[in-house]
Amino acid sequence: MRRALAVLVVLMTTALLSSCAVPLPRGSSTVEKAAVRADEVPQILDRYQQVRAIAAKLLDPKPLSTVEAGSVLAIDSGTFEVEQRLAQDKDLPVSAPVLDEVHVPRVGAYPLWFVAVVSDKAAGVNRVQVFERASSVDPWLLVASPETLPDTELPGLRHDDGFVLAVRPDNAAGLSSSPAEAAKLYAEALDDPGSKAGATVADDGFITQMRDAAKANAGLDGVTFSQSWDVDDVEFVLRTDDGGALVFATLLRRDTYEVADGITVGWPGGSPQQAFLTGGISSSGELRFDHQVLLYLPGGGGPPRALGQYGGVVSADGS
Amino acid sequence: MRTRLGWALVALSAVCVALGVAVMVVLGPDSRMTTGPHPVDTDGFVVVTAPKVLTWQGVRIDVLAELPANKPVFVGLGNSVDVQDFVADSERLEVTSFGTPWSPRTREVKGRENLPSSPTALDWWIAKSAGLGGARLSTTLPDETVSLAITSVGSSNLTGLRVSLAYGVEGGFLKGTGLLLLGVGGVWAGLLVRRGPDLRRSEADDVDGEQHVDDEEVVYVYLDDDGVEHEISAAEAAGYDVVETVVVEHPPGPEPDAARVVYVFVDDDGVEHEVGEDELDDYEILDEEDER
Repeated sequence: MRRALAVLVVLMTTALLSSCAVPLPRGSSTVEKAAVRADEVPQILDRYQQVRAIAAKLLDPKPLSTVEAGSVLAIDSGTFEVEQRLAQDKDLPVSAPVLDEVHVPRVGAYPLWFVAVVSDKAAGVNRVQVFERASSVDPWLLVASPETLPDTELPGLRHDDGFVLAVRPDNAAGLSSSPAEAAKLYAEALDDPGSKAGATVADDGFITQMRDAAKANAGLDGVTFSQSWDVDDVEFVLRTDDGGALVFATLLRRDTYEVADGITVGWPGGSPQQAFLTGGISSSGELRFDHQVLLYLPGGGGPPRALGQYGGVVSADGS
Repeated sequence: MRTRLGWALVALSAVCVALGVAVMVVLGPDSRMTTGPHPVDTDGFVVVTAPKVLTWQGVRIDVLAELPANKPVFVGLGNSVDVQDFVADSERLEVTSFGTPWSPRTREVKGRENLPSSPTALDWWIAKSAGLGGARLSTTLPDETVSLAITSVGSSNLTGLRVSLAYGVEGGFLKGTGLLLLGVGGVWAGLLVRRGPDLRRSEADDVDGEQHVDDEEVVYVYLDDDGVEHEISAAEAAGYDVVETVVVEHPPGPEPDAARVVYVFVDDDGVEHEVGEDELDDYEILDEEDER
């Protein structure tokens, strides 16, 4: 009898092991996927670093177009152009950032995107980078890279089953306003400190820095300076643990100089203004900047606050 | 109770036997079903399955796409998010449903007469294959929404496309065999369970740590109100609760010494006299067998 039971146990074990590989209907019929596989991320970052290093060595922004897009490419191209125009005999710093965190959402359609947090000790900053694949035939490109100070604490991000939760830019659930509206509010506060938005948004480091620069430019003798701000469409938003949101917004800044007759305004050597407006401004001039700002919208309400930014001159006109 | 349990086990095991036999017959020794080649009527560039056509996971599929005149062809399996984006703007034949062994339903979708990129250059295919005149894809369907695409490569189209398909379970025949054996074992066990006394004897074996002889006799006794025992049959005993089980062992008696040899002296009158081993030296041993 014991022998019979032993045979039965063996047979049942065999059947159970066999059943592990029996075909089953799929658990879910939802059309979606992880935006990127975990093992792909280091390769994507390595490729980006290699191309950026080549571009920095050549002082040529063209290779960057294979690894960057949008305002990041515009800002970096502007930076490279400044270096070229100033003909400075130095290479742009090339650092080797370390990948700290990866946050991958599940997506149901292209574009695919994910967030990588890297620390760059040489530059003394952390970067919260968004890589995007616009279509199935496009490569991964860096589209946002706001920088934060090393001691800046990023809010915890909410995950579900290992995937970070993305928020639609027009979704205001749990927030004082939708991420798109919050970015617009932030730009309005910069554009007009005396506006209602200016009263709502608290002064953070970025706002203070921009207002100080504008104040300095406005103090030039014989120059009428004005600064305007706008915001690009918000694409990437992540839900934070407290029900808030982390918003990647691109702010478009326009500095305009009107110079009185007989006066020429020049800028100190090495500045972007000097590079783009080599002969100075004797009539009028305009500098356009892009600023990628990482905005935090607290859960349950509260105004947007900038945690980091990355920006620079992207174009200029002047006479 | 024991009888019903036994019958239930037998019935369940019989189902296992039937399933095992069915799996073995359907899949065959190569563990898969094969169909084709089937002509596919299209002059476009892409044949693709809709996201909800391939609804199983763990199924092994082999797809062979053949084109005449050594035209290049590509076969790939990818997540539907990737595949649908890849073919979204291209003219294509979309398979909207599929019944085994081969009954696809399709629809034509208008679009550009090319693909946005060569399929062979893309890195998101789960499995892919390309070749001149034919391409064969062998893979196991994963647990995600996937689409299968057959595309032309370069400037050619898919005119004259023929598709062969095989699908099955890796090691399916062996699994069917396992199921069959499990069923047979289950039937056996069910019959053993139904024969309750054997089980009890086995329990007694375990307790005593001794082996009992197979011809043990079980006597069922009914004790009436006067304390008088009445022997009843096993069938009658099934209607009563077992109050006590008494194992009565027969006292060990003298066992015959099979190895003992008896030496006999036969006198002149033919009378046998038993002699001891110590007296053997006085006699000549005449083997009984030899004597015969």
